[in-house]
Amino acid sequence: MNGFLAISRLQLRIIRRDPVFLVVMFGMPLILMPLMKETIALSLNASGYPDATGAEQLVPGQTVLFGFMVAGSAAFAIFREHGWRTWDRLRASPASPRQMLAGFAAPWVLIHLFFQFVMLGAGGVFFDLRLNGGSPAALLLTVVSFAACVVAIVILAAATFRTVNQVQALVNLGAMVFGGLGGALVPVEQLPGWAEAVAPISPQYWAMDAHRAIFLESGGVADVVGPCGILLSIAVVAGGLASLRFRADETKEFFA
Amino acid sequence: MGQQGCRVLRAVGLTKAYGEIEALRGVDLEVDAGSVVALLGRNGAGKTTMLSIIAGLLVPDAGSVEVNGIDVWADRATAASQIGIAPQETGIYRVLTVRENLEFFGEIAGLSRRDKRRRADDVAEQLGLTDLLSRSATTLSGGEARRLHTGCALVHAPPLLLLDEATVGADVATRNQLIDAVREMANEGAAVIYTTHYLPEVEALEADIVIIDDGKLLARGSRADLVSRYFAAGVELEFSIDVDLRSVDALVEMAPVALGSRRWQLQGECDIVDIGRRLGAHASALLAVEASRPDLERVFLEITGRSLEGEA
Repeated sequence: MNGFLAISRLQLRIIRRDPVFLVVMFGMPLILMPLMKETIALSLNASGYPDATGAEQLVPGQTVLFGFMVAGSAAFAIFREHGWRTWDRLRASPASPRQMLAGFAAPWVLIHLFFQFVMLGAGGVFFDLRLNGGSPAALLLTVVSFAACVVAIVILAAATFRTVNQVQALVNLGAMVFGGLGGALVPVEQLPGWAEAVAPISPQYWAMDAHRAIFLESGGVADVVGPCGILLSIAVVAGGLASLRFRADETKEFFA
Repeated sequence: MGQQGCRVLRAVGLTKAYGEIEALRGVDLEVDAGSVVALLGRNGAGKTTMLSIIAGLLVPDAGSVEVNGIDVWADRATAASQIGIAPQETGIYRVLTVRENLEFFGEIAGLSRRDKRRRADDVAEQLGLTDLLSRSATTLSGGEARRLHTGCALVHAPPLLLLDEATVGADVATRNQLIDAVREMANEGAAVIYTTHYLPEVEALEADIVIIDDGKLLARGSRADLVSRYFAAGVELEFSIDVDLRSVDALVEMAPVALGSRRWQLQGECDIVDIGRRLGAHASALLAVEASRPDLERVFLEITGRSLEGEA
């Protein structure tokens, strides 16, 4: 337990000392949102939501899109230890490999939750995002499920891949391609037919499904249990595979 | 830390191969509390492999390691808390302060909040880092970073301390501080294994010397012990050009050994006139002749047949 807590605290301390990446991740969606709001509003109005302001799709969409990149930092943190030559020192400590893995993952789940709350909160303050009768408990469940899911996926990537470039490729693919497919950029029903058909393979699809139920359909917990169950299932499977696949003694290549 | 004289490390039959290359061939090593063992060998002799196995970073193909009676592989966490290792390459968190680095490694080794703070202060004082405690590690010089790197291994006061080429790239002041810290740790009861190929350090540490070559431990003893056992009288010759004395028939019985392309050693009691006659055509390139000194370099050469000169 000591090892887990020590590594978790270390991650948070490192982020506090060097927060540039997170500041960019928090700032970018807030800059992009006003540029897209009118277009998204028109799109929703034409899709049977005449009172929608656009924020109902835009804010969760950007949160889900950039959320994958934020989660990617959990994998980078592992590779960075190899680059800093501190990995072997961690391995030589009493921390077990699973404690190490959990120590890297847990802070990023917290940071991811914080990121989502800041995005949704900023959406409420600056872009008129309202629950419109949707359940706060359902929103909490959605946010927690998505954070667990994407962090577990990137931790599995860190356990599997040998180079940071491979992880970066997955994070880019996961954020942009799967985000787009999952309806984070435009609603899924406006995607081409083939894309709409394969969209459910994307974790972001299920997160957006839950957000739409809450913000556009005034949904409660019962309405998001399905998509959140899928997100949590992905989290459990990816986390389990990461735990099985992870070998602390494997050499990883950070940036040269 | 351990009681002086108690056995802290017991490594038996350590064997490790990387493909075709046998890095360790059935090595045994025992180290007691309060003693410093200098593992002396050329690059690639097996020093780092041995330390990595003892620290539990590398699984041996055969053999066992016990630290204070705890099997390193059967009870990994407990054994790890007994060991402090400073690997060869500097590994510190540059974005954190010196204190944060020391406290983190104390915390992960199981120290309480109060103890890790106290030990960080102690280690900083020991290594001359007290004034730097609140400085970011990014701003440290190479020598300061190296001291912090070593300090991170000392902070939980481990009974077994493993230092792999601790002074590589360090300035003289850092070198002296590290050596003093190692001596102090041993005086407090730690067992220390210190790998190096830098001989003055070994002498300064007054360590028990273990000579390793090609994955085998070839000799062990104090400096005086090894010199008395292995030093052979002889002379050293220096030439103005590259020569190969092994090809000189008249010198075969004097067992010439290269100390460099222009420096050679000959065994036995030698007469300068006799040497000049035996050198034949090479005599014209001879610059200097001196009697071999009874030092560790000569002992190492005698035991391994190879010189440590030129190792970095």
